[in-house]
Amino acid sequence: MSMEDYDYLFKIVLIGNAGVGKTCLVRRFTQGLFPPGQGATIGVDFMIKTVEIKGEKVKLQIWDTAGQERFRSITQSYYRSANALILTYDITCEDSFRCLPEWLREIEQYANNQVVTILVGNKIDLAEKREVLRQRAEDFAEAQSMLYLETSAKESDNVEKLFLDLACELIREAKQNKLDNNDTAPMPGEGKTISYLSCCSLN
Amino acid sequence: MLGLDSFNIDSVVIHTISIFFSGVCLQSPCSLLFEPVTLQPCLPSEFDVVILGTGLAESVVAAAFSRVGQRVLHVDRRSYYAANWASFTFNGLLTWIQQHHEESQPEEAQDWSSLLEEGEELIYLSNSKSESDSISNVQVFSFTSEEEEEEEAPSPDPPSIAEEQTGGAEEDAVKENSETESADSKEDDTKEKSEATADGDDEEQASQTEGEEPEADQPTTSAAQSQSEPIKKKISYPQLLKEGRRFNIDLVSKLMYSRGSLVDLLIKSNVSRYAEFKNVTRILTYRHGKVQQVPCSRADVFASRQLSVVEKRKLMRFLTSCMEETEEQQAYNGRPYLEFLCDQQLGDNLQDFLLHSIAMVTEDTPTEEGLTSTRHFLRCLGRYGNTPFLFPVYGLGEIPQCFCRMCAVFGGIYCLRHSVNCLVMDKETNRCKAVIDSRGQRISCSHFVVEEGYVGADRKQMATPTRSLSRAVLITDGSILPSDSDQQVSMVTVPPIAAGCPAVKMVELCSSTMTCMPGTYLVHLTCQSVGSAYEDLSPVVTRMFHTPESHDQENCPSVLWCLYFNMADGSGLEAEGHNLPSNVYMCSGPDGGLGHEHAIKQAESIFQKILPEEDFCPPAPNPEDIIYDGDNTSSAMGGEEEEKEETEDKQEKEEKEDKQEEKEETEDKQEEEEKDGAGEMEKEEEQTLQTEE
Ligand SMILES: Cc1cc2nc3c(=O)[nH]c(=O)nc-3n(C[C@H](O)[C@H](O)[C@H](O)COP(=O)(O)OP(=O)(O)OC[C@H]3O[C@@H](n4cnc5c(N)ncnc54)[C@H](O)[C@@H]3O)c2cc1C
Ligand SMILES: Nc1nc2c(ncn2[C@@H]2O[C@H](COP(=O)(O)OP(=O)(O)O)[C@@H](O)[C@H]2O)c(=O)[nH]1
Ligand SMILES: [Mg+2]
Repeated sequence: MSMEDYDYLFKIVLIGNAGVGKTCLVRRFTQGLFPPGQGATIGVDFMIKTVEIKGEKVKLQIWDTAGQERFRSITQSYYRSANALILTYDITCEDSFRCLPEWLREIEQYANNQVVTILVGNKIDLAEKREVLRQRAEDFAEAQSMLYLETSAKESDNVEKLFLDLACELIREAKQNKLDNNDTAPMPGEGKTISYLSCCSLN
Repeated sequence: MLGLDSFNIDSVVIHTISIFFSGVCLQSPCSLLFEPVTLQPCLPSEFDVVILGTGLAESVVAAAFSRVGQRVLHVDRRSYYAANWASFTFNGLLTWIQQHHEESQPEEAQDWSSLLEEGEELIYLSNSKSESDSISNVQVFSFTSEEEEEEEAPSPDPPSIAEEQTGGAEEDAVKENSETESADSKEDDTKEKSEATADGDDEEQASQTEGEEPEADQPTTSAAQSQSEPIKKKISYPQLLKEGRRFNIDLVSKLMYSRGSLVDLLIKSNVSRYAEFKNVTRILTYRHGKVQQVPCSRADVFASRQLSVVEKRKLMRFLTSCMEETEEQQAYNGRPYLEFLCDQQLGDNLQDFLLHSIAMVTEDTPTEEGLTSTRHFLRCLGRYGNTPFLFPVYGLGEIPQCFCRMCAVFGGIYCLRHSVNCLVMDKETNRCKAVIDSRGQRISCSHFVVEEGYVGADRKQMATPTRSLSRAVLITDGSILPSDSDQQVSMVTVPPIAAGCPAVKMVELCSSTMTCMPGTYLVHLTCQSVGSAYEDLSPVVTRMFHTPESHDQENCPSVLWCLYFNMADGSGLEAEGHNLPSNVYMCSGPDGGLGHEHAIKQAESIFQKILPEEDFCPPAPNPEDIIYDGDNTSSAMGGEEEEKEETEDKQEKEEKEDKQEEKEETEDKQEEEEKDGAGEMEKEEEQTLQTEE
């Protein structure tokens, strides 16, 4: 285990209907490319990218659904111990937006209480086909106390920003947690994320 | 406090169904992906292997096939993963209980013969309620108060009527058909309150009903509150519901031997990266009406205050000597292990520990078998902690899901709430050519793997007499053996409490295993059935815990809520002799063993029958090694890249192997040292653990 080469490690998990561009977002961010019409990469569990934020090295472990979202059959264990969730919909597809409450219910059931959730409306390059108004999505995100961002995996709009914003937010929370948890030891298990963080950030 | 509306039974049933197909009911008609009806065009019509059921063995088989490039379709009729191996939130478990109280609807056999071609024949599977045969005698008791945050004075004389009534008011069992137990009679007046909150829907319910929360919150008995005696805060039923998602309650109760086939497979395949594990921290036993810690590691033996110096020496000598086979031992082959132990002059104390808690066998188990399990136990000590066992954080239900994830990562397609109705058999070859799924789509496959529950009794070869397991699940308010830490994970062996009674295996989980809410413990009891689960296990429960039926158990932890049920014993399914096409393979449900060897062996043997040349679950590449640094332009996963990945992978493997060897070496050294001095050993063990953390 080489934990020397980063200060923080975060697990980020993508969810949302099939076809909204989750895999493309990950690939765009980690590999810098947009492979049209390709499905999940066989045999790749998660992708890693290390970024630097204010002089601190942050290792992002980004998990994709492995296609299990297609028939609404994501395993619960997928959500466990995620530090952040990227809930994605397609701005040109009303249905993908309408399914969001359903996804939120899954998050509430299975994800950690402290998980940071960001709502992402993808495919803004297809502005002429937009079905979900920005305002509507913003209102929804606000009501659910989520961050909101619109992206295009194709044009690489806001993709970098999406992950960097998340990383910043996660660092902020981690530092906050460290303060909060100074005297009381974190709950094992649920605290995995916390202990992870505090052990890494010591370096 | 969540949605305790007064549903009557019928509306609850409908409610449950709506959850089962929540996608259908809640989605707008245009939401295509979530509607089972429209799944049909999405599924490819050809696979190498179709697997029905997501229990442990099926999931391991799925991962193994997918990993070596086979096209896998994995479906389950249920809305959740892991079949009878599943874990549920508290609310989810209530829904499960509800489903097992419903009468199974007669299956309407659709006629799919129009999909047949010349020379083909249909074999119908059983789909209406496949688990109704495997689960029976479901009984639920709640001894919590219905008031939230109630401060209850300790009642001096249990079972007080008041308590019983309050308990009854939250009774969850819905309709027992032919129950005579007095405890059940109170169910009738309380039906309405029962399953009001059911899986998945509770959040929604909560947000809708929070403000207008009805009678549940209103105190019905306020007498207790006015007392000013020393008060102990008790957890109320509404709290259990509110914190329901903190529970992960397993239907089966097993542990992972740290050198058992499941742990080996998890490590070999890299599936272990999907889960986290905790050590079982102590082994306990119940003797002479008391719970005692069993000294099992050498360090424990020396630290033990229950054992005399002479006993310690004897035990150490025995543990060291039994690792090798001796002629003396062989002389006892075929004779009971108990006899062998007796002749070692160990004394009653040690004899009991060795027989019940270390070998975990019965009085008439033959010596060779007793020794084998004693050795297995000892070999597993000290790998990850000072007991031989691990337990997965979030419960055992995670394990099958982890293998399913592995299958999906390698291209396997997953579909819950989806089933296979029948098999298309080629009459001439006696092989299954295709399956017809629950939407009437014909899907061809070369092999079909199925959970035994989907196969009609007339086609199965079962051991006689039929075997069954008795299970109890308790939520309690304290540990059965309080200690410095309130976060112990304990394996408890309970020898037969009377002649003819079964030996009971008990596992007590604390909240840091993420299986129960803070302030509670989750206790699983399991034994081979003699009678119903209630008959077999409630005597142990009333002896070891405080319930309204128990007497003078003031110092024992109180049972807040408990569930009894019987489950078919998966080891009752014969390996051969089923009346099925030759390329159809059956996986059994959970067996009664403490470990997972049965299911893992079964999965491996199915894999090897079909692909004898292939490696079983080779390590998945480590994504940590595939790092892209943004400069990559062209196809990153193209041929070149893949090759690179492979070599990296190999390199990494080699490195790992080296590491492993090193590790083994140190372990060996450790073992030697263990033999010498126990005090040092303890230090060493602690050190290893710490470094691991
Ligand atoms: C099934 C299992 C259970 C474990 N339980 C514990 C435990 O209870 N307490 C403890 O301190 N350490 C536990 N570990 C960690 C393990 O003892 C050490 O991390 C490992 O031996 C270090 O050796 P390594 O660097 O060669 O292995 P690595 O290459 O670091 O890991 C080997 C394999 O173990 C997995 N693994 C590592 N750590 C864990 C973990 N905590 N839980 C689950 N899988 C893990 C990895 O994903 C990998 O597949 C467990 C490991 C495994 C595989
Ligand atoms: N125009 C456009 N198409 C996109 C964008 N992101 C993804 N797509 C396309 O949407 C389809 C589904 O993308 P994918 O990443 O596989 O979705 P997933 O199922 O959510 O992983 C593919 O055909 C992509 O080419 C985007 O930002 N703009
Ligand atoms: Mg995808």
